Amino acid sequence: MVAFEVPEIDYTRYTNRQLAAVPLAVLAVALLIIAGWYVATGVPVDPGLEFTGGAEVRIAVDAPDGEARERIQAAFDPAPESIRSVPTDDTYILTFQTDETGVSALEEQARAAGFGVESSYTVSPSFGSRTQMLAIGGVAFAFFGMSALVFLMFRTFVPSIAIVISAFSDIVIPVALMNVLGIELTLGTVAALLMLIGYSVDSDILLNNHILRRSGGFYESTHRAMRTGVTMTLTSLSAMIVMTVVATLFGIQLLAAIGTVLVFGLATDLMNTYMLNLSLLRWYKYEGVAN
Amino acid sequence: MGTIRDNWRIFLLVLVLVGSLFALFSPTMAEPDADAPGLASSGATNLQYGLQLSGGTRIRAPLIGVTATEVEFGGAEPPQIERDVADQLDGVTVADVIVRQETETTGTVEVTADGVAPDGLGTGLDEAGYAYGETRDGVTEETRTQTVDILSDKINEAGLSGGTVQQIQTPTGGNFILIEVPDANRQRVVELVNQRGNVRVDAYYPSDGSYDQTTVLERDDFQSIGNARQGGEGQLPNVPVVVREDVAADFQGRMVETGVAGQGGSRCSYETNPNGTDACLLLIVDGQVVNSFGMSPSLAASMQSGEWADDPRFILQTQNFSGARDVAINLRAGALPARLDIGPDGEGTSSFIAPSQGQQFRTDSLLTGIIAVFAVAGVVFLRYGEVEVALPMIVTALSEVVILLGFAAGIGYPLDLSVIAGFIAVIGTGVDDLIIIADEVMAQGDVNSRRVFQSRFRKAFWVIGAAAATTIIAMSPLAVLSLGDLQGFAIFTILGVVVGVLLTRPAYGDILRALLTR
Repeated sequence: MVAFEVPEIDYTRYTNRQLAAVPLAVLAVALLIIAGWYVATGVPVDPGLEFTGGAEVRIAVDAPDGEARERIQAAFDPAPESIRSVPTDDTYILTFQTDETGVSALEEQARAAGFGVESSYTVSPSFGSRTQMLAIGGVAFAFFGMSALVFLMFRTFVPSIAIVISAFSDIVIPVALMNVLGIELTLGTVAALLMLIGYSVDSDILLNNHILRRSGGFYESTHRAMRTGVTMTLTSLSAMIVMTVVATLFGIQLLAAIGTVLVFGLATDLMNTYMLNLSLLRWYKYEGVAN
Repeated sequence: MGTIRDNWRIFLLVLVLVGSLFALFSPTMAEPDADAPGLASSGATNLQYGLQLSGGTRIRAPLIGVTATEVEFGGAEPPQIERDVADQLDGVTVADVIVRQETETTGTVEVTADGVAPDGLGTGLDEAGYAYGETRDGVTEETRTQTVDILSDKINEAGLSGGTVQQIQTPTGGNFILIEVPDANRQRVVELVNQRGNVRVDAYYPSDGSYDQTTVLERDDFQSIGNARQGGEGQLPNVPVVVREDVAADFQGRMVETGVAGQGGSRCSYETNPNGTDACLLLIVDGQVVNSFGMSPSLAASMQSGEWADDPRFILQTQNFSGARDVAINLRAGALPARLDIGPDGEGTSSFIAPSQGQQFRTDSLLTGIIAVFAVAGVVFLRYGEVEVALPMIVTALSEVVILLGFAAGIGYPLDLSVIAGFIAVIGTGVDDLIIIADEVMAQGDVNSRRVFQSRFRKAFWVIGAAAATTIIAMSPLAVLSLGDLQGFAIFTILGVVVGVLLTRPAYGDILRALLTR
């Protein structure tokens, strides 16, 4: 009772140029969005509370949604920058982009208004910018470390650079999507970006390995690699979609952030691996080696 | 015998699993001390939960201060240098300057007051006539260690059980103090650690038509410090203390001299009428007068007769009980050499999670994990349609999580949200690798001989090893950098990959072989 089988795509119908054009175009658009964002706001992606500094308070309000929001607006001075409700347990997550009022004062205001303080979190701007430097350094290190490892494993330029470009695109496109959808860069999304480097390379390595190291024709190897690789990505993708939905309902922001970015990244990876990486490999196999 | 040799990977996996379950559930493995520092243990398992899943307060901040190194003492004694430096800097008292001797003639000078820049300290030293090597932000290692010790004492003295204080270092050379207190309210912890906690008693007495003030008791002058008492029956809340024998006589003499222990005692009205009061004792915490009091006729009489010094008991009165409690804590733990840089324009971060919220997160994140596992299982069953392939896959992936949980319980690593995220990531990568093994082994026709199986398995393993190596590389910065909350995520993802590649994924190969080559 095989319920689904990874479909066999007839790659011979498309030229390398056609195959590579789509992912490269998407990558170009993503880079444009990020560049535009940089020009407009001075940062490639909006940093969240953990990087800019500020306070976040999660309060329990015993009132229907509309009334609760009004009461929240009235209770706090300065007014919260954002109010997000957590559907499952009548709590609200408020963020304050302020350094004048300490979080202790905010907690007092909340208690005075009769709200229960469920959690609070505060980061000073200088601590945040330090964290940001570390995070950027960490992502850069992870990316270059991965690239070096890939080159060491395959020892040929085209297949290796194909993986590196795919992985680069797997990171850049989710970041652009974060800008479009208004998701801020947090520790959770940084973790997800790092995780993507690990996850996305799996299916690329698999594809390269099947095509370069196994006997059998190019299309046969491709199909075998796809059967495995697509299953892998779909499994991870389904786990992450479910995790994102459930964690959002429960208001567990860290898990929701990791899940969202991984969903974007894994979907992107399907495209990049089986269009961009594949076209580069086919070019290498049929034309690159002959030269 | 052959079975064991052929399937040793499965047996090893079972063995490790049993060990992990033992670490997880055995009461003999439970921490003997129920409230191990910084953690809250749960009921059924030996797992320990971090603050995010149990509730509590965490503060991470550097210490305020600047340091000058290789200061030439030029024959002056450290107390003299402290006074000289304090005189040169605005808003700095002697208590804010710490001189540490390193060699015969040189040492470091630290200023732990707010708002002094390294350059400012340099100028101050120049003006005071001391040569120095260089000045920098931050305090010395000794000061940090001392602060950590005193903060730990303070938290213990305040009865906040299970609190921990530690020093952490970032790879960029920053030094932070990390305070974690389970179950405690943020404000309470901040108030406690934010006080320098310098307690002293001054005598305030009339002399030549005006009033003089001198310090008569400091922390070192007490032999023992009692517990804060509620007071009652006309008595204010207070802390009973015993003055050290060798200073008792001196203190007694000064009480008589200044008129605090005057004829018939003294009645203090420092707060309402500071220019017309009898002699007073002032209880001062961090430069603020928290209470002023006179002396009862009977105590004054025993001081005048000199009897008091033979049994030098004394009480420090405060306005309210929480004040008395703070005074007792501060006297026992001592004053902090430097303050934490928290507050509006500080350089720290703090978080608080209500215990109920922590509990909620615990069940919610567990549910999230379980649902994610079901999603994975669903896809795998749909794809393979064979229970023989899919079921061992799910069981193997879950066994990785059990091993990691056992490991966490065994070493007492506190579970946090990030660790749970790590578990989910491990299931993700784990199942990915098992899919690679299954597809490779079952590719092109039946696996009928052991040799075919072995060669296919080995091929699959190359990809798995390569993928594992990249994941480890990608995660290593997070595991090492103190990005705080994400360290657990990275550590457990890496551990999961290692356990997977060395133990569970090879075992899955053996299981599959046993099922397919029958």
